[in-house]
Amino acid sequence: MSIVPNKPLPEIHELTKPFWEGAKNGKLLMQKCSKCGTVNFQPKPWCIECGSRDMPWTEMKQEGTVYSYTVSRTVAMNYPGWKEELPVILCLVDIDDGARMYAQVKGVDPEDMKVGMRVTAIFEDISEEYGIPKFKPL
Amino acid sequence: MRGKVAIVGYGRTPYSRLKPGQPVLNVDEYIAWAAELALEKAGMTKADFDGQGLGVSHAEVAHTVNWSAATAENLGISPRALIRGDQGGSSATSMLIRAASLINAGVIDRALIVGADTPLGMPSVAPGLPLSPERTRGVYWDFQGPFGVMGATAQFALVLKRYMHEHELSVEQLGKIAVSNRYHASLHPGAIYRERFDLNDYMASPVLSDPIRLFDCVPIVNGGLAYIVTSAETAKKVSDRPVYVRGFGEQNNHYPGSRVFPDLTETGFSQSAPIAMEMAGVEHSDIDFFQPYDDYPFISMMTIEDWGFCKKGHGGKFIEERNLHFDGDFPLSTDGGQLSGGQPGGANGGFMPLVEGVCQLMGEAGERQVKDAEIGGVCGFGGIPYGRPGRSCISVVLGAEA
Ligand SMILES: [Zn+2]
Repeated sequence: MSIVPNKPLPEIHELTKPFWEGAKNGKLLMQKCSKCGTVNFQPKPWCIECGSRDMPWTEMKQEGTVYSYTVSRTVAMNYPGWKEELPVILCLVDIDDGARMYAQVKGVDPEDMKVGMRVTAIFEDISEEYGIPKFKPL
Repeated sequence: MRGKVAIVGYGRTPYSRLKPGQPVLNVDEYIAWAAELALEKAGMTKADFDGQGLGVSHAEVAHTVNWSAATAENLGISPRALIRGDQGGSSATSMLIRAASLINAGVIDRALIVGADTPLGMPSVAPGLPLSPERTRGVYWDFQGPFGVMGATAQFALVLKRYMHEHELSVEQLGKIAVSNRYHASLHPGAIYRERFDLNDYMASPVLSDPIRLFDCVPIVNGGLAYIVTSAETAKKVSDRPVYVRGFGEQNNHYPGSRVFPDLTETGFSQSAPIAMEMAGVEHSDIDFFQPYDDYPFISMMTIEDWGFCKKGHGGKFIEERNLHFDGDFPLSTDGGQLSGGQPGGANGGFMPLVEGVCQLMGEAGERQVKDAEIGGVCGFGGIPYGRPGRSCISVVLGAEA
């Protein structure tokens, strides 16, 4: 059996680095197309609406709405380190004027979760240089 | 292209959960075994495929980048056209469409299509996370794994939760699909789980990722499947019960509504099914049985809706009102589906709806045979895009007559 990290960490590439650096500094960044204004997420090589490759990383509002959620009570197809954190509340969050993203919501009882709930970003470090956004109820 | 090609052979190996006493075969052996079964059924030999088509579905354990060519090498076949299926659970049906197009264009006359996988033999760091490199690298994984995405069950649970927010759907209605599939599995010697259960058992199964419970999930198995497709002319010569491809439709990377904030309650079947049915010249009432890609009962339900058997949002009620058994008024997943049959790797479960459809129309389904079956609807559903269900949604209409 090979040794695996407790929880998965992203590989940092030039394309995605600003996102992780932004999260370290308490910012939520997404690629916004300078031609048509579409916000693209997850990171894309060109704008999925118009095909422009000019999509500077842009600071987003930190509030959004829960489009859907699930409460994972077991770890499957992810790393065993998540076990300590179960149940994990996983959401699809529609960022205001942004895009939809997968994210954890913390600081709420699973029974109190609701579709349509308003949430705000919180940031956790994943290393000295990088962070990851999560959310909590507004 | 209605009725221009037909399926004349199919094969499905016994599946293995790698329990004590069950065979331990590698993926190449499963491919050969499935191909042998299909060739026997068609009365053909491997030599009939030199200069013809060979289709090979992706395997989690694929051990070379040239997977289809390596499979030709292992089988000792020198095909003119290699067809590679890399569309997950719609690989089997996508290769059918590619083969039909090549046959119709006169490039080949026939194709042997194979798919097998041995995901249970792979080293795994966590339940259901085989170390297939593409699963855990790249932007796709980087923006899911670290965010707490626990695999397909969690991804699909998000879709189901949203559906239940927008539409009336009870857990019991979904349970009816799981119970009915298990009933069919009890009549199908090839299914991996054959002991019947009822709605109480379903409700008692643990919730894994709210609202998806254990009995909503496909069990992974090792195994292989194959089929043979050929021109209608050749089909008539070699088979007295060819199964014609009456119509097909394909939709990839479907965005219902906005690309940024898509509506998750609709699948690409809303696009591919009308095309398939129009090509086939059939109405919903002509379809004698339906084989969706049942990786979860609610995917069967959404597929039923998006094929247009009922209005969007009425799928739960439709299931409640219809008899889903092989001898009922809406025979569904008559082989037990993947839910009770098992999924031989993410890319090969999609052979099962097709193979069962062919089996039914050849009149070889034994105890679960749909009486006087003439037209069947079968589906491929493959891949999970970021934040959406189903990268590829393929609809096929099969017929006992062209
Ligand atoms: Zn654009």
